Amino acid sequence: MTTTTTTPRRRENNTGRRPVSITAVVDCVGALAAGNMQGHLYMYDTNKSAGSTGFGTEELQTRARKGDQLLWNALALECEAYVAIDGIEIDSSICVPERKVYPGTDVAYWIGTVKKDVANVTYRMKFKLGTRDEPIATTLSSSLVG
Amino acid sequence: MPQQLAIIVLVDVGSALESESLEGNTYLFDNMKLQGSTGQGTGELVTAINGSYWRDGSQASEQVLNWLPYSLGSIPPTVPRGYEADRARQSDEQALAALQDLASKSSVPGTDQSEQLSQVRKTVGARVKTTRRTSGRLSGQKILDVTGKVVTEDNTAAYTYPAPVITDIYGEAVDSKIMYPAEYGSPDLVTDGWYWSATVDTSRPGTYSYVMRIQLHKLVGLNGELRWEAVNLTCPSALKITSEPRRNAFTKAGMGMLPIPPGAGTRPGTP
Amino acid sequence: MKPQVNIIAVVDVIGALSGSTLLDGNLCMMDDGEHSSAHQGTPDLCTVVQPGQVVSWTALAVDLQTPVEIKNISFVPADDRHASGQGQGQAQGRPHGQGQSQPHGQAQGYSNGHAQGEHSEGDKLDLDVWTGVVPGWLQPGVAYQYRLELQMYEGENSVMHIDTPALMCRQH
Repeated sequence: MTTTTTTPRRRENNTGRRPVSITAVVDCVGALAAGNMQGHLYMYDTNKSAGSTGFGTEELQTRARKGDQLLWNALALECEAYVAIDGIEIDSSICVPERKVYPGTDVAYWIGTVKKDVANVTYRMKFKLGTRDEPIATTLSSSLVG
Repeated sequence: MPQQLAIIVLVDVGSALESESLEGNTYLFDNMKLQGSTGQGTGELVTAINGSYWRDGSQASEQVLNWLPYSLGSIPPTVPRGYEADRARQSDEQALAALQDLASKSSVPGTDQSEQLSQVRKTVGARVKTTRRTSGRLSGQKILDVTGKVVTEDNTAAYTYPAPVITDIYGEAVDSKIMYPAEYGSPDLVTDGWYWSATVDTSRPGTYSYVMRIQLHKLVGLNGELRWEAVNLTCPSALKITSEPRRNAFTKAGMGMLPIPPGAGTRPGTP
Repeated sequence: MKPQVNIIAVVDVIGALSGSTLLDGNLCMMDDGEHSSAHQGTPDLCTVVQPGQVVSWTALAVDLQTPVEIKNISFVPADDRHASGQGQGQAQGRPHGQGQSQPHGQAQGYSNGHAQGEHSEGDKLDLDVWTGVVPGWLQPGVAYQYRLELQMYEGENSVMHIDTPALMCRQH
């Protein structure tokens, strides 16, 4: 019997290209106890093979091209803790991230399309942690690089 | 009370499948940076386990480890349990409603049924073929994209990977009877009801390595059908065990009288 | 008489850190004494004890994987507690404190949320056993209030205290 095995298409063109996921891993208790994010945030993305760097630091450099879809979400180090992205501040001529929820849930993600190729643009994130009213912003910045 | 310690195993599943290795594609965390763990958020985590013992040498605290495997960039573990199944059922219901609508219009002349059927097909999405080997939590489910939408067979580019599954924990730390790992069932909402856990013997300080066997799932098209194919990989890590004697916090030595200063205390009701 | 009374402080660490307070239900104190202690399940627990009994304190996080340790337990002389007015002046009320005063008095029972010195590697609070014997000279019916200081992780907001729990000898 002959069988044909194929991997489903990936990264062929802009529309079929896989979105780049950017994940912020947050030590919620550490950040709340310190009142800031420094040392309590680990950034990752799924674009390592394209050349992203700074994995596991607060200064992730995500390789992104015009037309790429970027999807941000957050993960708590303590599974009991509540962590959510409250905002992403980035040059709006490059990307306008929007908050959406996974259908049928109140779990949010942020998504946006890269409008043009860039050399390097940094962005700032704000997080809602635990039951604290006031969001905490990143001290160091991650960036998109061309 | 035992101290519960979680080790998060975050896997870049796409990259790991591409390179057929977890090395450089796995990021480990515990919540014990303050206790002396090193390599937080990298593949080189060394987990500090700080034990303690009483004056007679007996172990004073029990340490429990839990492993939580996550997929980087997938739908997060915080969505409700059984989310894939829920989404699959919702898309079926939508498709049924659309079919009903189509049937009621079929007598109307000029309706392009093939176009509408193709729309219904998109709503239904692609379902993963069940095989004996893949039967279980992934079988018969639909494929979702990273935003939770059902994907169709001709547009599977953005599908979300299922969370990695730990299938074994072994190696030096287990062989030397430093930890006793096993898989447990639980109502834990973030791990689909199964998780690996271990108790640790802190009486023999030292650094002990261990290995996790981790199963990832690759979506493959086989004779026109989609299925999740299991890929088994391994990932090493280590425990660093120390143990120190307990001490009385008031006296810094043995037990004594409570340090209540003369003149302390108020009668209830007195100002 | 039970040889030992255990007092447990159960803390919602994420709640306490989020609101910078041990109040609002973020701290519950309970004991297993054989006499009816007052205010079980609150930060105002008044544990009824007898001379010679052992009292043991432990802290436990409701969110099990977050760290909480007892940083200090100190009994407050009545004179000092009242020196600067009703329910105030906790800066003076630290006979066994660690040399750091607070900038100003606060309402009793209000957790501070100020940094209280470095949590150095040498602290190793997890090795501390907070246990002691009730002295024979305590007067029955008198509430001996104490300050319970808790350390949750480390950083500016990580240490909080309350002054409301107490020990009281049983009246015959």
